[in-house]
Amino acid sequence: MAETVNGIAFAILAGAAILGAVGMLTTRNVIHAAFWLLESMIAVGGLYLLLQAEYLAVVHVLVYAGAVSVLMLFVIMLTLRRREDSVRPVEVSVAGAVMAFVFGGVVFAAIAAYGDRVAEMPETAPDTAALGELLFTRWALPFEVASLVLLIALVAAVWWSREDKR
Amino acid sequence: MAYVALIPLLPAIAFAVLTPLSRQMRNRVRWIGLVSVGGALALSLAAFAAVWPGGSEEATYRASLPIAQVGGVDLNLGILLDPVAAIMLLVVTVVGTCVQVYSLGYMHRDERVGWYFAVLSLFTAAMLALVLADNFLMLYMAWEVMGLCSYLLIGFWHEQEAPRKASQKAFLTTRVGDVGFAIGLALMYATVGSFEYDAVFAGVGQWAPGVATAVALLLLIGAMGKSAQVPLHVWLPDAMAGPTPASALIHAATMVAAGVYLVARALPIFEASGIALTITMIVGVTTALVGGVIAAVQHDIKKVLAYSTISQLGFMFVAIGAGGAIAGMFHLVTHAFFKSLLFLGAGVIIHAAHTQDMREMGGLSKHLPWTTWTFGAGALALAGIAPFSGFWSKDEILYALYKGEHYVVLALAAAAAFVTAFYVARLWFRVFTGPVQTDHLKEGHAEMIGPMVLLAGITATLGFSAPFFSEFLGHAGHWPDPLIAGGSTAVALGGLALGYWAYGRRTVVLNTRSLKERAGYAYDALAKKLYFDLTYEYFLIKPFMSVTESLYRFDVKAVDGVVNGAAKAWNGLTAVSARFDLAVVDGAVNGLAGSARAAGRTLRKIQVGRVQTYQRYILGAVVLLMVWIVVKGA
Amino acid sequence: MMQVGPSAFMALAAVLFSLGLYGAVARKSAVMVLMSLELMAVAVSLNMVALSRFVTPTEMTGQVFTIFTMVVSAAEIGLGLALVLAIYRQTRSIELTRMDTLKG
Repeated sequence: MAETVNGIAFAILAGAAILGAVGMLTTRNVIHAAFWLLESMIAVGGLYLLLQAEYLAVVHVLVYAGAVSVLMLFVIMLTLRRREDSVRPVEVSVAGAVMAFVFGGVVFAAIAAYGDRVAEMPETAPDTAALGELLFTRWALPFEVASLVLLIALVAAVWWSREDKR
Repeated sequence: MAYVALIPLLPAIAFAVLTPLSRQMRNRVRWIGLVSVGGALALSLAAFAAVWPGGSEEATYRASLPIAQVGGVDLNLGILLDPVAAIMLLVVTVVGTCVQVYSLGYMHRDERVGWYFAVLSLFTAAMLALVLADNFLMLYMAWEVMGLCSYLLIGFWHEQEAPRKASQKAFLTTRVGDVGFAIGLALMYATVGSFEYDAVFAGVGQWAPGVATAVALLLLIGAMGKSAQVPLHVWLPDAMAGPTPASALIHAATMVAAGVYLVARALPIFEASGIALTITMIVGVTTALVGGVIAAVQHDIKKVLAYSTISQLGFMFVAIGAGGAIAGMFHLVTHAFFKSLLFLGAGVIIHAAHTQDMREMGGLSKHLPWTTWTFGAGALALAGIAPFSGFWSKDEILYALYKGEHYVVLALAAAAAFVTAFYVARLWFRVFTGPVQTDHLKEGHAEMIGPMVLLAGITATLGFSAPFFSEFLGHAGHWPDPLIAGGSTAVALGGLALGYWAYGRRTVVLNTRSLKERAGYAYDALAKKLYFDLTYEYFLIKPFMSVTESLYRFDVKAVDGVVNGAAKAWNGLTAVSARFDLAVVDGAVNGLAGSARAAGRTLRKIQVGRVQTYQRYILGAVVLLMVWIVVKGA
Repeated sequence: MMQVGPSAFMALAAVLFSLGLYGAVARKSAVMVLMSLELMAVAVSLNMVALSRFVTPTEMTGQVFTIFTMVVSAAEIGLGLALVLAIYRQTRSIELTRMDTLKG
């Protein structure tokens, strides 16, 4: 029997991800929003595990749930002058809602029209070692370029966020 | 022979080493650039020696390195060492080494001298890569890197406004040509499916009718931009705002010659077209004349040399267009040496006199003996006096015209040669003879004089290699034809004599500035001399000016019929060329800018300046794109 | 036990992306907008990983690209937050509605 994605696990994780996203958008407190995003990210990491992308799951949690969330929280705290500033009025945007609905509707229509072309999950999936091998053979050059991108972003971020000495 | 690949790599490595250093560190280790170019020179000598007995057009060494695969086709970085490339290697490395040594003296007080040497090295690397390329793609890459270096060096003193503007002008003007070049390359690739010289030239006879002409003309546009041919010549005089040694290397000897080299390399395409050769010749002779007559009325010593370079590059195009590609290449080589020599000499003169205006110079020969003699060798070569190298190469060009029975062009080229000799004499007598107008005149440093002496030696002797040069490139060599040689010498002597009559005699060398300085009891006499000076200027320059005027008018019509710059040109005889640049070319540029501004005014209405609005535009566009994709896919 | 195919993942990704889109447009705090952008990036990555697993499991192209996406979005978030800090230092505000000096 072909391996499948566990429907119940998927439902729980998908629900958690959507809950996190909705929570992030509806909360009035910016700090809470950061934590909702964190929750959503961890749920997505779980989905990666379901898809047998173990390496990605770990990296995803490290990067998004770890680094990015901490960075977000730091910036929020650095840019708040009083504790009360973290609470913001609820912001509703009709334009945003229309755009999101149009986009979601169109994509849903497209998915529904095509249906599940691939019903079953292929049995075997390569493991992390195989991913590493691919990354350092076939994708070696893009990989190096990516590291360069990170380096440049790092330098630029330091440059921008330092105190202005003039 | 794998060391050939090192020739362009050495200066490139020097650039890579110098660039990341701090400014102080870079200034301290600036000799790295010199060492790398010197190494390239040594390797070039070895490469030349390896090619030397060849005596044919066959390549002696080639190698290639695939860098990318696009659509199943390999794109290679290839090296091709044949006689032409070997000669160019020597020219570039010899002049490059001379300029680097000279710059040690010339630039020693500049606080960003390290960066200067780094860019100079990068430029040398690009020029060497261009020379060695075995395909048009690599040639184009090197071509663009040179454009960047030219931009950086023209704008080297970017604290001042003139260099900044000049660098932009140079970059934009050459970009016009480069667009033509790029389209030409695309068309070539669409036709042949390859950029390799051999593959392109192999089937050039079977191309669809008109394709060869189109490709050749597009390449010619690129060459005209780089080699400052009319009407794309306007950037070169302004480019003199950069450091003088950089002008000597880039804007006299090597980069501006790259256009000529391109046409010479792509000669089979031009020959397949036929008409393209004729157009090349017309462009060349027009440029030779226009550059010459404008040079004759400039007062800035570097601008005289710049217009002179434009004119001499025109001669090279004429030669190639007339079927004398060898003569064109030979003139390229001799010109590279004697014009860089003249520029280096001009650098010493400017340092000594603290001005670039020839009206404020005079009598330098007593105080700058070395400069005088070396500059004199370069000047005679430029004027075309035997035995200096310019005589031989100019003679070959005229001979090619004579043999091709292009008698009208021959006459025009002879006229250009006459003007050349005239402005050489004008430059010489204004700068080196007459009364001294500046105190504390000092000869240049040893680092500056040394390279000039070497270049002067080359200039004096290179001409005798003329027959061997042809044989080396696989053609029958010959000594000058007595008729042509006599004629061209007569023309050159005539030009020099006219220049002497106008500027060399004691009565006419004084001018307004010295008059004011020497005011007093001698006032009346000086006023009379001044009057003579003006009279001579009026009677002598006027014939030249009327020619110049009509040429300007032609250009105004040809380049931009709308702008009526020529009418203003009547106002001042000496300011005409500047006005031409201002009215015609800047007018066209301003017109473009105006239409862009009008479009901007309309579009500005959606530019409210708020980040969030922009973000909404972007995301809305993403949504619309998604809708379009889905609807189209369904 | 239910079976879940790729379309379920795509639908989830679409939901997450739409929510991120809404957040990016509606919220007025620069930090919140950056969070929404992260959500959108994650939705795309989820799509790629899922399709890679179902369609071409051995090639793992989707996973490799997800790594690159992560790199880019990590760089983006670092730069974005640095910018927010820089802007905050100048204007004492991170409200997008107050950032209106782009007009030339």
